Amino acid sequence: MARLRRNKNKSQKKDNKSDAGFREKLVEALELPKEILLDMTKLTMLGNNNLVIENYKGIVEYENDRIRINTAKGLIRIQGEDLKIKEITSEDIMISGRIGSLEFLE
Amino acid sequence: MLLLTLWNYLRGYVIILVEGYFLERFINICTHRQIFLWDIKRRNNYVMTLKVSIKGFKMLRPVARKTDSRVKIIEKRGLPFVLHRYKRRKTFAVGAVLFFIIINVLASFIWSIEVSGNKDVRSADILKQLEALGVKPGTIKYGIDVNKIANKLMLEIKELSWVSFEISGTVAKVYVEERRQPPELVDKDTPCDIVAERDGVIYSIVVKSGQEVVKKGDSVVKGQLLVSGTIENQHEPGQKWLVHSIAEVKARTWYEESSTVNLRTVDAVRTGKVINNYILLLFNKKIKLPINKSIDFQNYDKVELKKVMRIGENFIFPIGIIIEQYHENMLVEKELSVDEAKDIAKENALKKLVKIIPYDAQIINQRVTYSQGENDVITANVIIECLEDIGITKKIGGE
Repeated sequence: MARLRRNKNKSQKKDNKSDAGFREKLVEALELPKEILLDMTKLTMLGNNNLVIENYKGIVEYENDRIRINTAKGLIRIQGEDLKIKEITSEDIMISGRIGSLEFLE
Repeated sequence: MLLLTLWNYLRGYVIILVEGYFLERFINICTHRQIFLWDIKRRNNYVMTLKVSIKGFKMLRPVARKTDSRVKIIEKRGLPFVLHRYKRRKTFAVGAVLFFIIINVLASFIWSIEVSGNKDVRSADILKQLEALGVKPGTIKYGIDVNKIANKLMLEIKELSWVSFEISGTVAKVYVEERRQPPELVDKDTPCDIVAERDGVIYSIVVKSGQEVVKKGDSVVKGQLLVSGTIENQHEPGQKWLVHSIAEVKARTWYEESSTVNLRTVDAVRTGKVINNYILLLFNKKIKLPINKSIDFQNYDKVELKKVMRIGENFIFPIGIIIEQYHENMLVEKELSVDEAKDIAKENALKKLVKIIPYDAQIINQRVTYSQGENDVITANVIIECLEDIGITKKIGGE
């Protein structure tokens, strides 16, 4: 019985996984904007001094030389100098300054 | 980006200083509450500056309380603050509005009428006629039917063949074209005589139709019959018929004019001393300013300069200034030589003659005689002999 349940659980998990894969494949096939349908973060960079992050969740840390931003798929860490938040709304954030590195922390 | 800056300026914003230990949380809450923040700069661990709209700033207070931070305004920027500042200066605002109203009111009147294109018709007559039609300096320009005025003006003044009337700014512009009066012609089927237009001696006479009455060498007076349109039948006396006379009657005519010149003349020479008096011009009324000096020159000539306030070409306002310049004169006696005086006298006489000799007359002789009268006066007498067609048609039985 217990084994069966475990089995069922397993199959359910597998189902979920395959569902996500299917959605991704569908979105890709139809060439729909992923950031909206798959809740993905969109980053746009202009050289090393302008960064726009769309679809973020919130700011975790904000210093002159380090900004950490929470997104649906983990944290993004930006390091640099004189980092400023040029604009911020609930959907997107625009960072300017000399950006040194950009890291994704899962 | 410029547009956004401009928009922010119009809406008004404040630069604020936020002090606290949970600044990230402060920003997060703000974004969740749809408060738009921009230009966030971190000063140090617990201080940051940012810009927020006036509306957003009012929503900041609960956020600050929640995150235990303090908010301080550093600077207020934008149009609403500027306006607020001027709100208290009521006189200034009233003055600005009043100025605008006055300019607008003044611009809705006609203050000046310009007449152009006329040669023989006097501008004063046109202005008088316009006044009768209800257009004069001080008339409200709205409600004037421009085409109607132009048409009426053309009807009222017969000498005008075309009139353009337009109002631009505060100036009414009248442009006229004069009619050349056609000579009164007798219809070629109507019987007529030919009579002399002026005195003269007949030089040649060529008759194409009609019965000639005078011959070459006859002297005629104005109005005398030259060619008759009534032809008698030579075979049967008493029987006659009427024709439309056509003839070219050339005659020698004389025109005489004289002019006198005094040998001793007094010339006025400016000494260079000038007194300026100012007169204020307001709605066609002259107001003398109290700063004016009295004129203590023995001899002077006066020059009037009129300056009217105008904006551009077409906005003339009824405010102006007249500068009266009084130039002191020194009287210098001058003696002309007889030859000089003769020349001047002849010149003046000729000028008078040019005005009266008809355009198509041919000048064949010119005689000038000089005479010296009492008091050193030189008189020039100029006689000009012309050859011209003196025949004009006149209806038989007419006046």
